[in-house]
Amino acid sequence: MNNLKLIWWLALKDLKIEYRSRQAFLTTLFFAVLILIIFNFAFDPGSNATREASPGILWVALLFPGIIQLNRSFQSEVEEGTLQGIVLSPVDRGVFFLGKFMANWLFLVAIDMLILAAFVVFFNFTLSGGLLWVLLLMVLVGIGFTAVGTVFAAMVSNIRIREVLLPILLFPIIVPIILAAVNGTREVLIHNDFSTLFRWMQLLIAFDVIFLAAGFLVFDYVVGE
Amino acid sequence: MANPSLPLVRLTGLTKKFGAVSAVRNLNFQIHRGDFVAIFGPNGAGKTTLLKMVAGLTSPTSGEVKFEGDRSARARAETGYVSHQTLLYNELTGRENLLFYARLYGLDGGADLADSMLSRVGLAEARNLMVRGFSRGMKQRLTLGRALLHEPRLLLLDEPYTGLDQHGSRLLTRLLGTLRAEGRTVLMITHNLAEGLELSTRVMILHRGKLAHQARQEELTRSALENLYFEIVER
Repeated sequence: MNNLKLIWWLALKDLKIEYRSRQAFLTTLFFAVLILIIFNFAFDPGSNATREASPGILWVALLFPGIIQLNRSFQSEVEEGTLQGIVLSPVDRGVFFLGKFMANWLFLVAIDMLILAAFVVFFNFTLSGGLLWVLLLMVLVGIGFTAVGTVFAAMVSNIRIREVLLPILLFPIIVPIILAAVNGTREVLIHNDFSTLFRWMQLLIAFDVIFLAAGFLVFDYVVGE
Repeated sequence: MANPSLPLVRLTGLTKKFGAVSAVRNLNFQIHRGDFVAIFGPNGAGKTTLLKMVAGLTSPTSGEVKFEGDRSARARAETGYVSHQTLLYNELTGRENLLFYARLYGLDGGADLADSMLSRVGLAEARNLMVRGFSRGMKQRLTLGRALLHEPRLLLLDEPYTGLDQHGSRLLTRLLGTLRAEGRTVLMITHNLAEGLELSTRVMILHRGKLAHQARQEELTRSALENLYFEIVER
């Protein structure tokens, strides 16, 4: 129970800081909308080819800007030295990981909903039940993306080229969830094939469980020194 | 229950190397309860590395630091650390910062504790201001409040006078004097020989990673310490 409270307080602290500074929120949202606008101008939004490619466009807009938040989440801790403050406290480092993960994940899901709304407008999708399934995919993809991303963001937080290094380390590992996200979205929005969607979701759930557990276990070594 | 005959901290053969460079070389000493140890030394003498190893932030290359004969992570909960950085969140208020740390240390009545600590370090009126707007002196006092919040049995101070004006230095000296009078165990790194000597019960001079000299405070006058210090570092 105490650990659950600690996880919430750690996450709440990050969310409060982000709410007050709005640095990551505004830059992430701006970057994502910019991606959608560029694709919108590059392709004819009414064509079948664009419709087929639109799940990929959506996930590029959802995941690439997410890197900004992951980098920010540890950059500020290192710059202000507060990472040392947490590491010096008796808090279990796995609990610290879950707190950071939760803050990053809540942030990502909140911003993803705004990006999804922009996507629906730019690519002429109608509001339907299918979008709820895309929301569920966003929640599941967000867990895996943030679990892996939080570990790597902590690893590179003391490195000068962290902004470059984080996506290079992160994206190869999350290829399975990118594939599941793009294909799952295509099945929902274009083909209406829910049996295939559920198979992709099973893959996402397995990925999420494995990498959340791995993050919890290895975080002690990641922030140890 | 802790054995009072054991030293609070014991350093044995403590060595830290960064590649081919030895920052700390084979340090052996003990800190007893109630000791206020001031460590002097020029830049690069290994003082900060030593403090980080005692705090558990850096692992020694060889040797060990034992807290009451124990090497476990329990020592983390018993140590307060003031480093070059404030370890404070600029986007939180002074009170929110202390409340956050109180929660990390699992302290009951965190809000009351935070308020009383803010009063103790003279920041009660500024408690709801963002740390971003604090002066260097205010930040340093809040940093000390953060480090003392969980009533640590060992306080580690790394150049706490850095960046403080005369008024801030005086306030800090007063606070540290209170800690000494309370019988707290403190390990302080400072470049300020006069302040360090006045506050401490024991002084050490670290040079090129080695313990060059140590003495009880009453064995040294200010001028004797200055002469000794410059003799060692200019050797």
